[in-house]
Amino acid sequence: MIGPSIRIKGEVTGEEDLLIQGKVEGTISLKDQELSVGESGRVTADITARVVKIEGEVTGDITGSEKVVIARSGNVRGNIVAPRVTLEDGAIFKGSIDMDPGETVAARPTLTAQQSANSAAPELDVKSG
Amino acid sequence: MNPASIQSSQLLPALFRGVEDDQRLAVLHLGPARQDTLDFFSQRRCRLHIVDVFAELPLPAEEDTEHGLSAHLRDLLQLSGDTVFDVCLFWDLFNYLDARALRALLEALEPCLGKTTVAHGFSVHNPRSPDQGLVYGINDTDAISMRRRGRSIPGYRPHSQNRLLELLYCFRMERTVLLADQRLEMLLRARTGSEQRAPTGHTGRDDLIAAQIRKAST
Repeated sequence: MIGPSIRIKGEVTGEEDLLIQGKVEGTISLKDQELSVGESGRVTADITARVVKIEGEVTGDITGSEKVVIARSGNVRGNIVAPRVTLEDGAIFKGSIDMDPGETVAARPTLTAQQSANSAAPELDVKSG
Repeated sequence: MNPASIQSSQLLPALFRGVEDDQRLAVLHLGPARQDTLDFFSQRRCRLHIVDVFAELPLPAEEDTEHGLSAHLRDLLQLSGDTVFDVCLFWDLFNYLDARALRALLEALEPCLGKTTVAHGFSVHNPRSPDQGLVYGINDTDAISMRRRGRSIPGYRPHSQNRLLELLYCFRMERTVLLADQRLEMLLRARTGSEQRAPTGHTGRDDLIAAQIRKAST
């Protein structure tokens, strides 16, 4: 654990689970382990881990090979790459979530022309209830 | 936390019509992210770009920004220059943007719109309709979830459908559905190139009301 009064600048790597309650700037790489950022944790770093759980603040890109969880007290600014993302009610997130880590974002639109272009005049349906 | 209610949607399926299972979607989501929406998109190959613009309201006045409101919004949205969105989810954001802010938003978005970009949003059938205070999510391809918003959003001043048609210069309204509570569900399609109309200018009335809202919120 990195306690609330600890500040680290640089590269954090390891092969065990880690809880951050203090401040970390740099990069964090835990590969197959779990990283938790506690409520008092303040992280400005790119993060790589198997599971990333955030209750504090993170600014940076997050890669979770299994999942990323942002708790209701969590505040994340950055991009997430993970097959599963959990965002609890009240969590603050700004950025992109890449649900398919296998490829880079396509620069071209992927919807096909099967969505036909209709007339400019809107069609109005009335639906009760 | 209040429970979500589910409402069927006739227009939502059009966003995903023709999308193959292995196709990768680029989705712009301009509202608070909700778990059901993430769960829905996690079943697809996609990249969700999420910016809760509601949390940034009211937007500053043009004169209070360093490089103009459009540049302010570009900074806020942090859009990548080479991304073209397939789907834009506006939810009911237009109800909280005056004409100037709406134009600035569209100017910021325009480089990320392509000829196949489709969008979904909610407006009102009657501009005097009260604020419903709802947060939306996607429950299924044809179902929208709604939950009461925890706080009120400043600047609620919905546009009439005709006014919105004028303001949304880089979209055309393809289809609308009148819902309960005089809400209007909208399916929009991006206009590109020669299809586009010139941005509609704001009116003096818009400025006056915007100034009143800013004054009230300070």
